[in-house]
Amino acid sequence: MAFVKAQKSKAYFKRFQVKYKRRREGKTDYRARIRLINQDKNKYNTPKYRYVVRFTNKDIIAQIVSANIAGDLVLAAAYAHELPRCGLKVGLTNYAAAYCTGLLLARRVLKKLEMDDEYEGNSEATGEDYSVEPAESRRPFRTLLDVGLIRTTTGNRVFGALKGALDGGLDIPHSDKRFAGFSKESKQLDAEVHRKHIYGGHIAAYMSTLMEDEPEKYQSHFSEYIKEGLEPEGLEEMYKKVHAAIRADPTAKQSEKQPPKEHKRYNLKKLTYEERKAKLIERLNALNAAAGADDDEDDD
Amino acid sequence: MPAGHGLRSRTRDLFARPFRKKGPTPLSIYLRTYKIGDYVDVKVNGSIHKGMPHKFYHGRTGRVWNVTKRAIGVEVNKQVGNRIIRKRIHVRVEHVQPSRCHEDFLQRIKTNDKLKGEAKARGEVISTKRQPKGPKPGFMVEGATLETVTPIPYDVVNDLKGGY
Repeated sequence: MAFVKAQKSKAYFKRFQVKYKRRREGKTDYRARIRLINQDKNKYNTPKYRYVVRFTNKDIIAQIVSANIAGDLVLAAAYAHELPRCGLKVGLTNYAAAYCTGLLLARRVLKKLEMDDEYEGNSEATGEDYSVEPAESRRPFRTLLDVGLIRTTTGNRVFGALKGALDGGLDIPHSDKRFAGFSKESKQLDAEVHRKHIYGGHIAAYMSTLMEDEPEKYQSHFSEYIKEGLEPEGLEEMYKKVHAAIRADPTAKQSEKQPPKEHKRYNLKKLTYEERKAKLIERLNALNAAAGADDDEDDD
Repeated sequence: MPAGHGLRSRTRDLFARPFRKKGPTPLSIYLRTYKIGDYVDVKVNGSIHKGMPHKFYHGRTGRVWNVTKRAIGVEVNKQVGNRIIRKRIHVRVEHVQPSRCHEDFLQRIKTNDKLKGEAKARGEVISTKRQPKGPKPGFMVEGATLETVTPIPYDVVNDLKGGY
């Protein structure tokens, strides 16, 4: 091993201040979190809800969360992997699926709070900017969008989820600047383009071009769509049906699995003093026996 | 040039964050609620530059008299000359902690109410007043042997041996 001067001395480690755990994991932006959670002191214990949207490689997670010193409380959650129940089997992480997940969460929350009759939201997704009108008896459910660590570019799927929640009837302060279809030159949202994205029009267009130009790539790329028998023209119809199914029954399905009676162990159990001593004696005996056998072999 | 007496003069160490606690502040600070009449300690958080109290109030305890959007109004005693004035300051919540000076009293209220409730159910009259610690009870000394100590007569010759 080459002789290298030690870079990080003991003094370095003694003075090192670790960042917060979730910052080390790269999962939480504390600057944004402080600003999302901070409630006016003269509103005392009124919860401030944030609409959390996170994307994994194969799933979309949408939650309504309120902050607590003991830990955040989730009021309601919706996942993209629940959409097969509403009729959407493929493409669970695209813009259209994000819209569906947002819509599902919004309807679920409103149903839970018994506000779903008052606040229908926008039943026909036109892609235009829609904000909830306050009804007579109760004010709309207000929540703030929490994007997490994603880069907020125009047309990002997280704004698809935002549009879904808005059309579902939630009151989320927003601007149409980042919806798909907003053009920087004209500084206006092209509702047609946005509507196409909500109904998977951009996917249908890609499917058509691939079918003509590169059929093999089409077969490999959209294999699941082909398996379900989905044609580019039928996508919009399918999404319309999914939206209707979501509005019809947004309740979450309880899983039938029972929680395991005892917790599964993920690490080794710590041995007692006697057990450790016994193990040591066993190892010594085994060593002696092996050494004795070797001696016998050597003698032979 | 002289040192100057600005608002934050002489606060180099006072307002400094503790060792290895620099950077973002924990979120629980923002989640606490304060009601009018609560006792709070004022402790400046040097990393939050807004809503800082004057260095005099660092370490003082006072009562909340006002609650606004991001700050708390605290009423603190300050000795000015020959009198104590009740000063009202507004401080952001990052520079304030709930005080435990009152905790013992609030605990006592709870236990006393419970005891009084139980006593009322039984029909007794009890006193929940705190009593000061009285003198210790008398006791007999056990197993002591008596040793009488008397002075010995002064012996000039032997005692002067050292320094003579």
